[in-house]
Amino acid sequence: MNQKSSLNRISIYRELFILRTSAELGRSPCRNMRQDFEKLFLHLKPAEPPAGLFDRIILAIKREQELQHKRRLLFGFLFLLVVSLITTPLSLIMLVNQLESSGISYFISTVVSDFGAFLTLWQDFSLAILESFPIAGMLIFTLTLIVSVFTLRLFLYKKRLLLGYLIHDFS
Amino acid sequence: MKTYTDEQLVTNYLKGDEESLEILIKRYLKPIYSFAYRFVGNTQVAEDITQEVFVKAWYNLKKFKQEYKFKTWIFVIAKNTCLDWQKKKRPLPFSVLDNKKEEFSFAENIKDPTPLPNELLERKDLVAVLSKAIETLSAKYRTVLFLRYNEHFTFREIAEILRESIDTIKTRHRRGIAILRKLLKDK
Repeated sequence: MNQKSSLNRISIYRELFILRTSAELGRSPCRNMRQDFEKLFLHLKPAEPPAGLFDRIILAIKREQELQHKRRLLFGFLFLLVVSLITTPLSLIMLVNQLESSGISYFISTVVSDFGAFLTLWQDFSLAILESFPIAGMLIFTLTLIVSVFTLRLFLYKKRLLLGYLIHDFS
Repeated sequence: MKTYTDEQLVTNYLKGDEESLEILIKRYLKPIYSFAYRFVGNTQVAEDITQEVFVKAWYNLKKFKQEYKFKTWIFVIAKNTCLDWQKKKRPLPFSVLDNKKEEFSFAENIKDPTPLPNELLERKDLVAVLSKAIETLSAKYRTVLFLRYNEHFTFREIAEILRESIDTIKTRHRRGIAILRKLLKDK
């Protein structure tokens, strides 16, 4: 205990001495120490990065960019695939149901069986057919069909990239 | 040629200017490599860590907040990458912990803000002696001293980088200086 307190006292005297000497010299002790150590660290041989490191970093970033692009493409493709696999059959069923309930088949069978009547009343016929068209169902089906075709096209164009990513990065 | 600040370069890169990223990498290649080298003490590992730091920085560049300093931010990434490497590769042996205890108690009793003696700065073998002394210092002291005197960070910035309180950093700095002083005196 005594030893500890005398050690503390010594260090306090020492600090007071430093502060007094520094004050006499008109400079802050901490600033001097910092400057001295900064000077000292200047002598430390700087670790020079090897010549090819910059190129290696750029290459690694490019590789990472490509990987990110592939990942986005793959997830985009998988999303579109799931969407088109679910929506295309559903929209087809919906369209068929709407066509059956619209009565358009009767108009068409009349046109086929009695073409003469159709020629005479073609304007009324055309209007009736147009009115009974299931526009919403057709639009939805067309959209889902476009998505499916786009997904298929994406796969055909990027199949090597997509399969490569799936095989290499998920195995 | 116009010199851009780090933050301007980040903004430019995010707007699509690829060259800005190259300038940023060139600007920080040496400090980050030096930091990693001082931390791990191996050139090959330091190279790998430097590469990883820049890839991580690129990956998270969109998340970089302009109110922070880029230099501090990238050094945080560097420190974390070094720590990850340390966790993965080097389990800490018990003997090291014992040594740390001795170092701690020794440094505990020293408070020394005195300037360095002139003879030391004038020594011809200063480079070799200093390198050896720095290598002997444990990583936590070495890191603080390196950031303070090589990269000229303030205590607050060092605390931010190392995710420690400012008092811890000041204590580490003081102990590090004391140990370094003793090491230099002994050599």
